[in-house]
Amino acid sequence: MDDLITEAWDARDVILGGLLQTLSISALAIVLGTLLGVLVGVALVYGAWPLRLAARAYADVMRGTPVLVLVLAAFYMPAVLGLHLQPFAAGVLALTLFCGAHIGELIRGALGSIPRGQTEAAKAVGLTFFGVLAHVLLPQALRSLLPPWINTCVEMVKASTLLSVIGVGELLLRTQEIIGRNFMTLQFYLLVGALYLVVNFAIEQAGKALERRVAFR
Amino acid sequence: MPSAETSAPARPLLAIRGLRKSFGATEILKGVDLDVRQGEVVSIIGSSGSGKTTLLRCVNLLEEFQGGEVLLDGEPVGYREQAGRRLRLKDRDLARQRAQTGMVFQSFNLFPHLSAAGNVMLGLRKVKGMGKAEARAVAERWLARVGLAERADHAPSQLSGGQQQRVAIARALAMEPKLVLLDEITSALDPELVGEVLATVKALAGEGATLLLVTHEMRFARDVSNTVVFMEKGLVAERGPPGDLFGNPRHPRLIEFLRGTRDH
Repeated sequence: MDDLITEAWDARDVILGGLLQTLSISALAIVLGTLLGVLVGVALVYGAWPLRLAARAYADVMRGTPVLVLVLAAFYMPAVLGLHLQPFAAGVLALTLFCGAHIGELIRGALGSIPRGQTEAAKAVGLTFFGVLAHVLLPQALRSLLPPWINTCVEMVKASTLLSVIGVGELLLRTQEIIGRNFMTLQFYLLVGALYLVVNFAIEQAGKALERRVAFR
Repeated sequence: MPSAETSAPARPLLAIRGLRKSFGATEILKGVDLDVRQGEVVSIIGSSGSGKTTLLRCVNLLEEFQGGEVLLDGEPVGYREQAGRRLRLKDRDLARQRAQTGMVFQSFNLFPHLSAAGNVMLGLRKVKGMGKAEARAVAERWLARVGLAERADHAPSQLSGGQQQRVAIARALAMEPKLVLLDEITSALDPELVGEVLATVKALAGEGATLLLVTHEMRFARDVSNTVVFMEKGLVAERGPPGDLFGNPRHPRLIEFLRGTRDH
């Protein structure tokens, strides 16, 4: 136990750096993926058919592909086209595309469950399509979306570990490097597992607090 | 709102001419003509399926229609002519025209994520571009007029059906529309809540608001309207002052209809 504390203390900068990397990858993927997801969801529900078809194809392909494959594809495929993405950028791109497809489906479901009368009442007040969307439909959709969205956030944190295969120095890769030096395999995997647990637990608690705040009274 | 006495323009505020509307192969409106003058209260009665609600929805551009025209204050709504072709207006123009008419729905359709005041303020802020404080003041004034000053910060789910419908009336009226459309606004209410909503509408009518309403409340139609219109199978079958229509109905279907409504 003393060994673990000493070793962990010595490696604290590495671990903290990995943790920060994991958090920034996840945050970027969640924010960008959510923005993308809103566009995809709106396209799926209200888009003219070519747009709807494109959004549908995108969502189905992304959701049907393992995230690891997406990560590898985002890293190696742009190179074929002469575009060189850094591992970090490629990884964030892969997770964003994956996240966007999932959130897009969530938004589609949430928008579809809002009664038609809401749109009609909003139109009757004189709002344009985008006004209806921004002030009436999305605020309602986002509320019912919150629990599955939190779930997706947690999934993104876990999926960020896959970026270790393309050499992004996130928490898991950094931990593996430490283990490579001190061979304290079990101890450090337990430690890093606990760190992921803390992050995800914090996200879930923040989500619950947010849910309470925005719930319909 | 100007009353019927102070301004009596020659042309009607709302003119519906030969309005035709089909859902697929089923023709719902078969050439409806109807005028509503400024300050007038017109009630549409008729059995379900006669096209009453569809007519209101066409006026507020919630439905497209295939023939005829609807003129609000002389302006054709919903469509424009270009090189002899009839084209649906763009979203922005439709929105601008819809803002000139208010609509109150059978099922209230309040926005559940906003308070009572928030419901009234949304259009004031996002359509009329009012500042927050001004919109709030207008909303409070209208909520007070429908007797809900104390409920401004309540969520729709905390209000009774009758209260929700009165908020919906305030939401429509606060926009100062030229014309207010009321679509069976008491049909979804418990019987004991109908009175408060009808009293609110009656007060508005007394203040000179121009109302076009669809109702199943025959007593109310008789009390509040200047003109009653009986629709049957997608056409206006009879129209006239409430005294004539209820007291001396001529159309055989109207006689039958009125006998049916008296039974319950």
